[in-house]
Amino acid sequence: MNLFDLKEQLQGAGILMCFTGTFGRGIVEELGTAVKKYLESSDESRKSAMTDVFSVYIEAAQNVRNYSERSGASSREVIDANIIVIARSNEHYLVYAGNLVEPDDVPGLTSALDRLASLDKAGLKVAYKEQLRKERKPDGGAGLGLIEMARRASEPLRYTFTPTANGQSYFSLCVAI
Amino acid sequence: MNNLSLVATATTPAVDFNASTGLVALSGESYPENAFEFFKPLLAWVADYVRQSSGPLSAEIALSYLNTSSVKSVMDLLDQFEAAHRAGRTVAVHWHYQQENERALEMIEEFKDEVTLPFFIVAVPG
Repeated sequence: MNLFDLKEQLQGAGILMCFTGTFGRGIVEELGTAVKKYLESSDESRKSAMTDVFSVYIEAAQNVRNYSERSGASSREVIDANIIVIARSNEHYLVYAGNLVEPDDVPGLTSALDRLASLDKAGLKVAYKEQLRKERKPDGGAGLGLIEMARRASEPLRYTFTPTANGQSYFSLCVAI
Repeated sequence: MNNLSLVATATTPAVDFNASTGLVALSGESYPENAFEFFKPLLAWVADYVRQSSGPLSAEIALSYLNTSSVKSVMDLLDQFEAAHRAGRTVAVHWHYQQENERALEMIEEFKDEVTLPFFIVAVPG
């Protein structure tokens, strides 16, 4: 592997940070602290945009980690599929998150994401407040992560589900800020 | 009952809950791996205080960023304050934020909307 080529490729794609593999204890948060320092030192003048990128990163990465944990994360395949990327395009910061999901979870996720895509800022605020008042899920999650990401985003969340050879589905999410 | 005091970490706030004054102080940021577990003893402390003391209950909060799981727990904490307020106890919340931090202000205002107790938002000049 030629690292210069890899570096050129990452730079060309505007990738600021990419992490893949085991989202082990504290790693998401440690990387988050590094991301925050990086964003604070950038020349971005809109402080709120920096907060939004950080917040979306945290919610996306913690979602991926929590999903792995919930599904037992026994299989190497599931863990190795986890990825989180922060990139910069001309107009936006982009936060990507990818992980393997069970086929049974696809319809629920799809309808949740499509519902969020249909809401404007005021509608998203209402959805957020409704969810805030619901009981926590059995795993302790608040169920607010996707709504939070949609609220911070400047356009609807984009996603794809790609069926894999072993009958699972690869969930890829892109949030533009 | 005992005071509850924790130093801040990169992902959890500083905690200083005083049993003799009923003053609950939280400052920093909160985005731990498991916010539910982190806040559990804090919520238990407030429940104990309300049970054991008839004194005032007040909060001095300077939390600038919360992940959504922490938002949920802080809402639970404010609900405890709201219940004490409705039961006739002297209750107040002061929430401080850096003036230029728009996102923090939006978050605090949304919490304030959820309760009727005396809730003061304090801008700190940057």
